[in-house]
Parts: sequence; C-alpha cells; structure tokens
Amino acid sequence: MLKNYFKIAIAVLRRRKFFTFISLFGISLTLTILIVLTSFLDHLLSSSYPDVNRDRELYVNVISLQSSKEFYTSNGPVSFHFIDQYLSKLKTPAKLAFSTIFIPSNAYVNNKKVAINISCTNDQFWEVLQFDFLEGRPYTKQQITNAEKVAVISADTKRNYFGDVPSVVGKYIEADNVQYRVIGVVKSVPVTNLFCYADMYLPYTLSKADLHSKDLRGTFGAILLANSKSDIPKIKAEYAAMVSKLVSNDKAFDRIYSFPDNYLTVFTRMAFGQGRKEGTGTFYTILGLVAFLFMLLPTLNLVNVNTSRIMERSSEIGVRKSFGASSKTLVYQFIVENMILTFIGGAISVILSLIILYFFNNSNLIANAHLSLNLTVLTYSMLACLFFGLLSGVYPAWRMSRMHVVAALKAQ
Amino acid sequence: MIKHLFKLIWNKKKQNFLLMAEMLVSFIVMFAVFTLVVYYYQNYKKPMGFAYEDVWVVNYTQPEGEMKADSVVQFHEVLRQSLLSMPQVKGVSFTNSNVPFSMSTHNSMLKTDKTQSVGDFHQAEASYAAVLELPVLQGRWFNAADRAGKLKAVVLSQAMKEKLFGNGDAIGAELTINQGPDKVKVVGVAGDMKEKGDYHSIDPAYYQLMDTSDHRWVNEILLKIAPNTDAAFEGKLYKLLAGTFKSSNVEIEHLSKKRVSKNNITLVPMLILLVVAGFLIINVALGLFGVLWYNINKRKGEIGLRRAIGASAKSISAQLVGEALMLSTLSLLVGTFFAVQFPLLHVFDLPASVYIIALVLAIIFIYVLVLLCALYPGSRAAAIYPAVALHEE
Repeated sequence: MLKNYFKIAIAVLRRRKFFTFISLFGISLTLTILIVLTSFLDHLLSSSYPDVNRDRELYVNVISLQSSKEFYTSNGPVSFHFIDQYLSKLKTPAKLAFSTIFIPSNAYVNNKKVAINISCTNDQFWEVLQFDFLEGRPYTKQQITNAEKVAVISADTKRNYFGDVPSVVGKYIEADNVQYRVIGVVKSVPVTNLFCYADMYLPYTLSKADLHSKDLRGTFGAILLANSKSDIPKIKAEYAAMVSKLVSNDKAFDRIYSFPDNYLTVFTRMAFGQGRKEGTGTFYTILGLVAFLFMLLPTLNLVNVNTSRIMERSSEIGVRKSFGASSKTLVYQFIVENMILTFIGGAISVILSLIILYFFNNSNLIANAHLSLNLTVLTYSMLACLFFGLLSGVYPAWRMSRMHVVAALKAQ
Repeated sequence: MIKHLFKLIWNKKKQNFLLMAEMLVSFIVMFAVFTLVVYYYQNYKKPMGFAYEDVWVVNYTQPEGEMKADSVVQFHEVLRQSLLSMPQVKGVSFTNSNVPFSMSTHNSMLKTDKTQSVGDFHQAEASYAAVLELPVLQGRWFNAADRAGKLKAVVLSQAMKEKLFGNGDAIGAELTINQGPDKVKVVGVAGDMKEKGDYHSIDPAYYQLMDTSDHRWVNEILLKIAPNTDAAFEGKLYKLLAGTFKSSNVEIEHLSKKRVSKNNITLVPMLILLVVAGFLIINVALGLFGVLWYNINKRKGEIGLRRAIGASAKSISAQLVGEALMLSTLSLLVGTFFAVQFPLLHVFDLPASVYIIALVLAIIFIYVLVLLCALYPGSRAAAIYPAVALHEE
C-alpha cells in the first residue's frame, strides 16, 4: 500500500515541475533554517569540548543577596570564601572545579598587541573538564598552594604570542607585567562555552581577587561533578540545606538565594526566573512559539499550493471514490504523499545545512566553534519535518475528501 | 468595478481565505522587518556627536582593601601627570565603567519640580569633554571651582534638557537625583552623544562632576592619543599602567574597535533576520505566483466566454490583477488594523514616525509583490483564445 502511495506521489511530483519546485523550495529552506538554528542551540547547550559531562554537572554561578525591607539586591558570581567554606564541604559531589570568570588583559609582543582573557582555576578544574593537552600538563595542587607563576595557555594564544614554534613549554609569557612559565598548551575553547573559556589559565592563588574577603559575592564560579546522574537531586538537596544556613556578613541582606543548576537553567533562571524560579518552562514555551510562528508562513504557503494541486487531481479522486474508497483512505493517502514530499524536502535541507555549517565552521565567525549535525539535531529536524508535513497536509486532504463524486468526475 | 471584484472574491471566500491569511502574515512579517530597518536607519543618520578615533580606554579594577579617599585621588593625580608627560597622550580623563560603546549602563532619575526623566549617568571630570570632543551648547563644562561649590555640578545632554525643560533655560536650575534629598545644579548643556553604537537611539544623559569620594569607584581611564600612534607605544603605556596597578588586571581597548563590536551586536541579528525574511518572502512570492497561475488555468471557460462577447485582452488581465490586488487590500486592511495599535498603545517605545513609515513601506511592498506575482498569470490569461477555451468545456 505504502509503496503504491510512494509511486503515486513521485508521479504527481514529476507532473507539474514548477509546483514541485515551489513546494520543495519552501520546505527545504524552512527546514534548513530550523536545522541550522537547532544545531547552534545544540552547540550552546549540550556537552561539548571540553565540558563533556554536562549531564552530571551542576553549575554554581550566581548568588543573590536580597533585602526584604529595602528591595536591595546584589546578584553575581560567588566568592572564594563561599567556595572554600561551604561548597567544598558538600559531601555528595565527586569533584569540585572552580574558576574566576575570565578577565581581559593584554600582552605585547614584537610590537603587536595580544588580547588575553585570564581565568584562575583550582586543580580539579582540569579533572572535571576534559581539556586536550597539545603539550605539557596542568598545574598540580602543590603548585597552586605554592602560588607558582605557571600558566596553561590555549593553542590560539600560543600562536598569537609565540608564533609558529613547535614547543613552548618552559618558555615565559608576560601579561599584566608578570612573567608566567608556560607548563601546558590546550586546544582552544570557543567563547560560547562560557564557564571554561579563557586564553590563559592560572592557579587561583595568583588571582587578583581578595581571597580573604568574607563576602559571599565575588568573582568565582564553580562546577559540581556528580558520581552519577542519580546523585544530582541529592546534591541539590544538600546544597539547599547549606544555603538555608548561610548568613551574609552584610546584615542588610537577609535573604540569600543560590542554586546549583544544570547548564541551561543557569541562563533561564537569570532571564525568566528572577533568580529564584528555574524558568525553563518559559524558555521552552518561547522557543516553541518562535518556531511555530516562523513555520506559519511557509505552512500557509504550502497549504495554498497543495490545495490547488489537489483540485487538479479531482478526476482521480472521483474515480477512486466511485469505486468505494472512503474519505478516510483518501485523507490518509494524501497525508502520506505530503509526508513523502516533506521528507524529500527534509533530505535536501540536511544537505543544505551541511553546506551552511561547513561555511560557518570555516568562517571563524565564532572562533573555535564547531557546529555539527549530530543525532540530536537530526532527530529534532525529523520531528520538525513531521510536524510541518502534518500541518500543511491535513487541511488540503480534508478539503479533497469532502469533494462530491459527481463534481469531482465532472470537473475535467 | 471594485464592487464587482469584491463580489467575485466573496463568492470564493473559502479558497481565498487561506490566500488572504498568507498575505496577512507576510504583511506582519514585513511590518516588523521595516520597523526595525527604519528605526536603525533613523538612528544611523544622526551624528555621533563626539570623537572616538584615537581614544583609548584603560580598564582596571581598583585595588581592594581600604584605601582612603584622599590617597586614591592623590594616586590618580600622580598617574595623570605621568600619563600626560608622554608626548603621545593628549588628554586623560578618569571615569566610570559606562564609557562609550561599553556594555554597561548606569541609570538615574532626574527630577525638577514638575517633570522627571530617567537618564544615563556618567561620572566625568573637567577633562572629559575635551577627550571626547564633546561640544558644550549652553553654559559651560565643569571647572576646578565646581568642586568647591555647595551643590554638586551636573551637565545635561541636549536630549535630557529638552525632556526636563523643553525650550526653557536649564542653566542654574536645581535638580533632585533619584530619591534625593541632595540637590545638584545644572552648569551646562552638552551635545547628544550616540555612545551606545551607530544604530542605537540617543538617550537622555547627564554628567556629574566626580568628587573626591567617587574616585574610589573609578575603573576606566579615557585617553586621547595623538594620531597614528603604534602598538610599540601601547606596549610602553601598558607597562606603565600595569606597573602602577600592581594588584589589578589591566586592559587597553580602542574606542574605534569597541564601536565595531558594539555595532555588530545590532547588525548581526539584523542581518540574520533580513536573510530569513528574504527567504520567507521568496517563498511566498513563488507560492502566490503558482496559486494565481493555477486559478487562472481553472477559469479558462469563464475567461473564454468574456473574450467571446468582446472583452479586450487588456481588460481580462486588468480583471485578474485587480482581483489579486483586491484580495491583498482586504488582508492589508486587517493587517493595518493590528499594525496601528503599535504607535497607539506605545508598545515598544519607538517614535510613531518609525511605525508609520514602516507601515507605508510594508503596504507598498505587499502591493508590489502581489502585482509582480499577478502580472504574468494575468497576461497569460489575456492570451487565451476564446475558441480554444470554450472548446475545452
């Protein structure tokens, strides 16, 4: 049966080439745009180099101090004091990585300026995040305690600062007027990977932040790595218990909010949840609405074209009806035909997307960002195809099935 | 004629409904796109109002810990003198983090007895206007004597002055900032600075003279540099600064480069939007063309009959194009109804002129689009031979 439908669909497609072109053009461009956007979103949100364990990580980036009386709020990254005194005492997380948000600095070499973003980290940072070391190795706990002036730099920084040299381990790089000994070079991280992007990583003891301050707010962010996914709720519970006991050293702030969040929630909580609610629901609603609105116009267009094309086939419909085909069968047939058309469009759009992504990855529009079509993206694209096909096929099919036999036969 | 066209459309309202819905959605998309384009273009046409070439920004963090306000001022004075002693440095001004083309903004509410306005708040020194070549339109910029005055001195931007005083005189007026109770005194009105990027609107702003205690919170220095200064000097400057701010990360940025990256934040999404809208419109155009063409093929009998009883080819194609335009008029009426709500309800705080120009452009665009899509099918219909057409039935 399906095979028959398939044959009919192909025959119809070849009949009026111009109409086929219009339909396929619309479908494939719409889906191409959706696929490219999905792959961008996927790049932003799912695990990617060097942050490969996002599904069992929780991010602590924001602590919000609020005053119930005077509506003062102070939001921002946490302090070393908070990490050292509270976070590191949590028992459930397997590992705790922390680092300062990257701070811009400059280096000058051979009359050229090199912009260097510096992030100061602890030793477990290198265990939680799986950096590719092109040479050398990360700094150890001992080196951090000794506040040794050692640095791990990115491959981009190596090229910009030292030029094309085979090895730079043991050489010195100067930033902020301080000489750091390079002990490792890692593959560069795209800036879209916010919590581990930097051009140069230093031991946190070299940080210019005041490590003795007793404030809860500071310049650090942390990543908690769980042993397994099932530990995540336990960590959240333990964290909530810890936060409930916190007291700010500034007595004006009597309410303290901080949550360990998965990667997406870090952003949705800030954008939609006023720092308290998760906000993921709002995010998905907005995303769905935008996608739907975007698909509305091409869908209407396709419905119009499809309706016209069906009328063209009124004689075929008349004959099938007079031999006893039910409306249901005809609707089913037409939707399947439309699906076939949509999936051909989908296949074209995958090819188009691959071309666009290839150019995007080579354009260096976002340095080191590598977008790809993986299984997740393809699944979502197939879902979009299905949705699109149904959306644009149901109405014309319903119109067609309601045709009177006599009218249909007479039309031609 | 119009009544007749309307009747023809009404008789096939079911088929035409979807076509109209498609035109309506296209109109709304184009209205949104044109609103943005017109808004950005209007902003782009306005002059920047200050000089950003050869201005560098030094970015640092104040040393933490309790340094007394007086010693911070002294520390800054020493630094200022050593910077000015370099021949390439033409001017130095300490300021807060909201330098031109930066991401940060500081807002405050300014109040007179009658009106109030929110504005960007810049902490400035006497040298600020000279470094950015900011013109002073009325009154004067800050001078050394202002520090000794009883009230803090402020300079309003032209836009702020107009909001608070209209055409009246602002010099000498006393204003309250936020909840008060301290008052400030207006000493001058400066030109508007389009400091958030070429495509950003000019917002009301005011400048307040930095006093001794404000120096504690300073974290940017604006430097006017002689033209054609190279990176070698920048390296030297950096050494001096990093040596001075031992416990801080120091960064030097160029305002001209900051401007490019700030503009990109507006331009890149705009370009993506234009590309997407472009594809949507091509899609719609092809679809409309196809459907109109198909409809005409289906109405061969009717057209043949009209031709047989003496209608000219011209009037046939005029009828078909007229029908398409009538359809678009109907959907544009509905669309315009929604679109005029934006200026009426002040949905996005854009000037009404932006919406009106965008509305007119969107209407013209849809008419031209429909006309282009209908012309060819219309002329094809006019070329139908009555004998052939009537024979088919």
